[in-house]
Amino acid sequence: MKRHTSINILFYLYGLLTLAFLYLPVVAVGFASISKSRYLRFPIRKYATGWYGKALTSDTVMDLLSTSVTIAVIVTVVSLVIGFFGALAFARYQWRFRKLYQKLILLPIFFPQTVLGLALLMWFNTLGITPTWKTAIIAHLVWITPIVTLIIAIRAYGFDPSLEDAARDMGCSNWQIMKEVTIPLLMPAVTSAGLFAFLLSWGNFPLSLFTTGADSTLPEWLYAKMVSGYSPLVPTLGVLSVAASAAVIATAFFIRAMIPAVKQARRNYQQAH
Amino acid sequence: MSETSILHIAGLRKKYGDFIALKDIDLDVGEGEFLAIVGPSGSGKTTLIKLLVGMEEQTEGSIWLRGHRLDFVPANKRPTCMVFQSLALFPHRSVGQNVEFPLKIKGVSPAARKKKALELLEMFRLPADYYHKSIGQCSGGEKQRIALARALAFDPEILFFDEPLSALDYRLRKTLEKELKNLHLRTGKTFIYITHSLEEAMVMSDRIAILNSGKFEQIGPAEEIYNRPKSRFVASFMGDVNLFDITMDQNSGQVSIPNFSIADDVAGSMAIDPLAVNTLMVRPESIRLLENTETADFVTKGKILGKYMLGSRIQYEIEQDDRNVLIVETANYSRGGTPGATVRLGFSWPQSHLILEAAS
Repeated sequence: MKRHTSINILFYLYGLLTLAFLYLPVVAVGFASISKSRYLRFPIRKYATGWYGKALTSDTVMDLLSTSVTIAVIVTVVSLVIGFFGALAFARYQWRFRKLYQKLILLPIFFPQTVLGLALLMWFNTLGITPTWKTAIIAHLVWITPIVTLIIAIRAYGFDPSLEDAARDMGCSNWQIMKEVTIPLLMPAVTSAGLFAFLLSWGNFPLSLFTTGADSTLPEWLYAKMVSGYSPLVPTLGVLSVAASAAVIATAFFIRAMIPAVKQARRNYQQAH
Repeated sequence: MSETSILHIAGLRKKYGDFIALKDIDLDVGEGEFLAIVGPSGSGKTTLIKLLVGMEEQTEGSIWLRGHRLDFVPANKRPTCMVFQSLALFPHRSVGQNVEFPLKIKGVSPAARKKKALELLEMFRLPADYYHKSIGQCSGGEKQRIALARALAFDPEILFFDEPLSALDYRLRKTLEKELKNLHLRTGKTFIYITHSLEEAMVMSDRIAILNSGKFEQIGPAEEIYNRPKSRFVASFMGDVNLFDITMDQNSGQVSIPNFSIADDVAGSMAIDPLAVNTLMVRPESIRLLENTETADFVTKGKILGKYMLGSRIQYEIEQDDRNVLIVETANYSRGGTPGATVRLGFSWPQSHLILEAAS
């Protein structure tokens, strides 16, 4: 027994070290954001929280946030719509070019993002389109839609095709099959894929760098300021960005945890009436 | 088309490219009948049921329900319902919601459909609190009953079954076979049941249709299919069987079977067709091991190769002189032999059956 306990302690230590390795950089950025010094240096001599105030009132920061959020929201919605039907084509239906489609859709994921970004920029130039945050949406979609498609496709593979046949047999129209069977069954994958889409777009740097033109997203701005003109505003925004991602995930988890409670409440209501 | 026929199929044919899955299927199913369609895999039974429920479209022919063309009606508008092989219960809905589903689609009010669902659960001896249970928490047998309850909630004109029992273990299958038969008696609905298991078909159905390579070989009650098969295929598909080629001497007209001695009066009365392939069929349970002086209409001898205990019966494999192996079954209390022993065997003419098939 004693031996088991010591092995357990080792496992816990290993776990803690892994977590420390993964999260210390974030903590370091957190510390840097509350340093009074203009330069990144440890240990921190004087602390200050003023940069948070500045971050939240700065017009530049608001512009950056609104650009990043707008791109991420549009990318999430569009990639979910394309990815949902793309996943059905990927996993559920037999059609002539299915095998080819399954391979081609993976290509953008395997491309290094910088190469993809550069390629897209050249493509936009050729077409005579001036890069702005709108072209960045296209760039993000090229990379994120395949990921969303794959996440939903895995779920679509897992469900029995006869469920849809049975629904039709019991009188469902195509739209009712979608509403009563397909969408509810794929919903868990759709929420995960949506989270991924939002976070991948929110944090994306290489694609944005090439394709936003004169506009700037939060990761781009952070990079630019790191290279020249560093101030504690950089780690401050870094922390806020991570916090925003965390908030999105937490909200998703909260909503998912609430679903059974809401269902139970509805059931109680039905029983009471 | 008979007057009491609910389903009428005429000249149904289905081709996939060059492959003919069904050729010229004709069938009439009576009101309230339990019909089993039996065939080996690849015989076209799945294709046939897909045409009947509207999941596929036929190449030729027509399907009629009570005198109206059914094949023109899209799948979701047909007044029929199918219990799928996988059962196709919705995993994201509770037991009650599954049973209510067809009523929901028909626009029945929540209160009325819940009442109906509870009635059906009770009919299938499922406790009322199963209404809120999730499908994943139910056992295999319960899922079967839920699927049946859902199909009955639809209130179909004809209930189709696509081998729903095939995935279950033996004992549960036996129980559910009988439940299904009782359900048929209670509801009085028309059941059409697709299976590859003849045993299942014999226990449950009023009539059996044997499907082979896309066409019906024989349609009739279990007793007829088992005792008086029309072809060698049907005979051997219906369990163990002994088949003997009958030959006739061109000059003397003498009927003979290799290695058998045939009683004279029997040989004279066997109505064989010289232009057809003539086969004599005997079920294993109709062959007897003969005592020394005992005789029979057909007599042969052979060496016991194997002896197998089947429970209520004992099965022997007996090799004749020409290496043909007979299958013989006796009641397990009767006198037998041991492997290696040479025995005399015989059977009577009334217990055998003559199969005449056109020479191909």
